[in-house]
Amino acid sequence: MEIGPIWRTMLRNKSSYVLIALQIAVTMALMVNAIAIIQERTRLMGRPTGIDEDNIFTFNSTGFDPNMDFQALVAEDLDAIRNHPGIDNAVMTNSLPIRNGGWGQQFQTEPGTDVESVGTGIYFVDEHGVDTFGVDLIAGRNFTSTEINWFDPESDDMWPSVVIVSAALAESLFPDISYDEAVGKTAYVNSVEPITIVGIVKTLQASWPSWEHIENASLVPQKRGATSARYVVRTEAGYRDEVIPQIEKMLAESYKGRIIRNSKTMTEVRNDAYASDSAMIKLLFFVVSVLIAITSLGIVGLASFSVTRRTKQIGTRRALGATRPAILRYFLLENFLISSVGVATGAILAVGLNMWMVQTFNLTPLAWYMIPSAMLVLWLVGQLAVYGPARRASFVSPAIATRTV
Amino acid sequence: MLNMKDISKVYRTESVETHALRDFSLHVEEGEFVSVTGPSGSGKTTFLNVAGLLEESSSGIYELDGRDVSSLNDNERSRLRNEKIGFIFQSFNLIPELDIFDNVDVPLRYRGFGNAERKKRIERVIDIVGLGSRIKHLPSQLSGGQQQRVAIARALAGEPRFLLADEPTGNLDSEMAESVMQLLESINAEGTTIVMVTHEPNLAQRARRNIYVRDGQLEEAVPDLQVAAAL
Ligand SMILES: Nc1ncnc2c1ncn2[C@@H]1O[C@H](COP(=O)(O)OP(=O)(O)O)[C@@H](O)[C@H]1O
Ligand SMILES: [Mg+2]
Repeated sequence: MEIGPIWRTMLRNKSSYVLIALQIAVTMALMVNAIAIIQERTRLMGRPTGIDEDNIFTFNSTGFDPNMDFQALVAEDLDAIRNHPGIDNAVMTNSLPIRNGGWGQQFQTEPGTDVESVGTGIYFVDEHGVDTFGVDLIAGRNFTSTEINWFDPESDDMWPSVVIVSAALAESLFPDISYDEAVGKTAYVNSVEPITIVGIVKTLQASWPSWEHIENASLVPQKRGATSARYVVRTEAGYRDEVIPQIEKMLAESYKGRIIRNSKTMTEVRNDAYASDSAMIKLLFFVVSVLIAITSLGIVGLASFSVTRRTKQIGTRRALGATRPAILRYFLLENFLISSVGVATGAILAVGLNMWMVQTFNLTPLAWYMIPSAMLVLWLVGQLAVYGPARRASFVSPAIATRTV
Repeated sequence: MLNMKDISKVYRTESVETHALRDFSLHVEEGEFVSVTGPSGSGKTTFLNVAGLLEESSSGIYELDGRDVSSLNDNERSRLRNEKIGFIFQSFNLIPELDIFDNVDVPLRYRGFGNAERKKRIERVIDIVGLGSRIKHLPSQLSGGQQQRVAIARALAGEPRFLLADEPTGNLDSEMAESVMQLLESINAEGTTIVMVTHEPNLAQRARRNIYVRDGQLEEAVPDLQVAAAL
């Protein structure tokens, strides 16, 4: 079509087009990488913790009565909670997945101090832990009640001899066998204390949402604490919100030497865990929208100016036989060429920026479809932005050719 | 070729009505060279614009090449301009960002000719106007006379039946004006019908037929062009 002369015209007027092409390029580079970050964050936020998030809540019981019998109180509390209507199960533990704070430990497959080890999040639970968390036990067995003991700081033998691990942890400990074959294997904790893997759960995340080995977590059969207990409660589906105040009230009244506080649903835990990511996603969306808006305005401005400046030329073209659609097409095509230069440059910038971010921030490389999609979007934005001025151009009267000097 | 009957053209703005043409009737035969003179503001350009389908008349009948053009839509008028009419403007109206070749190419692209056909035509008309060596030059690198010759080449490239020129020598010194005039005469000698608006009596006189416009109305066969131009 008219690409040849339009292109040559642009080359003779480079300065007016280079800036807008550059703006498109920068918009594209930032847009692509912002969306890549959004995708990455969304993916991280979307990972399941492995527990029954919709029906779980947690709270603290903090004792202040010096004469309190803590172990008896925990037993009574758990009994009362488990028997409360609408409750599925309950357990005392130290933390929850993605709660931003918990217990960590190194496991290794050979005893010794110079042996390579694998990090894992630890949840101390009793035999109700698997059911309360709602984790999916895919190999081996749950703890038996006889395996559960109170932690005794006086004892030499401090660490329980059995453990249930996440499939991911089993695979990092024993990369050469499948996770179900890890049942019965021995690992070592604190360098030398042997622990036997008795069960594998499909998914259980550790307590730190940004930890790179977040999928490594273990359930350890032990009760710990002296004055303060964290309870995790799983309700029957749909009862969570109505049950929370009932449980709080019940426990507060059952024993006055403690306070019940910090109750939080797992939904809130998740929102807190990813609050900054959510904010980041919103911010990036905003930035991308603003960039696109500014670029569109730039295109509209340049095109309007160009139509005004070329009014006589447009009239002359009309006089020489250009139809209105031909004039419209001229400006759309011109914009398409500017955009093409912009998105081609933008593609290079985007990939460069991404490579730098992959190195610096451990971001995953761009998905293959990101560049072509961004090109399409920006081409479309350009065409939409230029349509108004181009339409105005198409209504320039051919009489302009003889009427202006 | 061109047949106007009782054409009128009224420009309306909020406050004024200008009757730029009134009951304007004119018949131009195929192959004629008609000069149009008249005082400034008398309606010469308006006549040319209506004749060249750049503007529609307010009333009257206009037949171009035997065809009533008053009912044509914008696209059809554009196509007719492109195929049948060549325009030459006082200020040349070359496109400043395009070189000579691309300028002459403009109407040919709208015509939809292929590459080879366009190239052949462009080279031929640029040769006719004697600018073969300037084909890659920009308009700004040419003198006024040369620019007008490029514009004539552009008007000729589509091989129109009908050439309309609005003061084609108005921006040129007498020497350049003479060369442009000679070019138009030779084009007319080849058979192209020409209607030329001019202020210059000695050029007008060289046309085979002279018409005079005053107050939007036609006064044919002005006896003394010198006097007419002075009005
Ligand atoms: N677009 C327009 N709107 C209003 N009046 C116009 C317009 N074009 C021309 N006229 C008026 O029409 C009359 C004829 O103008 P024109 O044909 O340009 O005269 P000429 O070419 O003989 O000098 C003038 O009075 C002019 O002011
Ligand atoms: Mg005029």
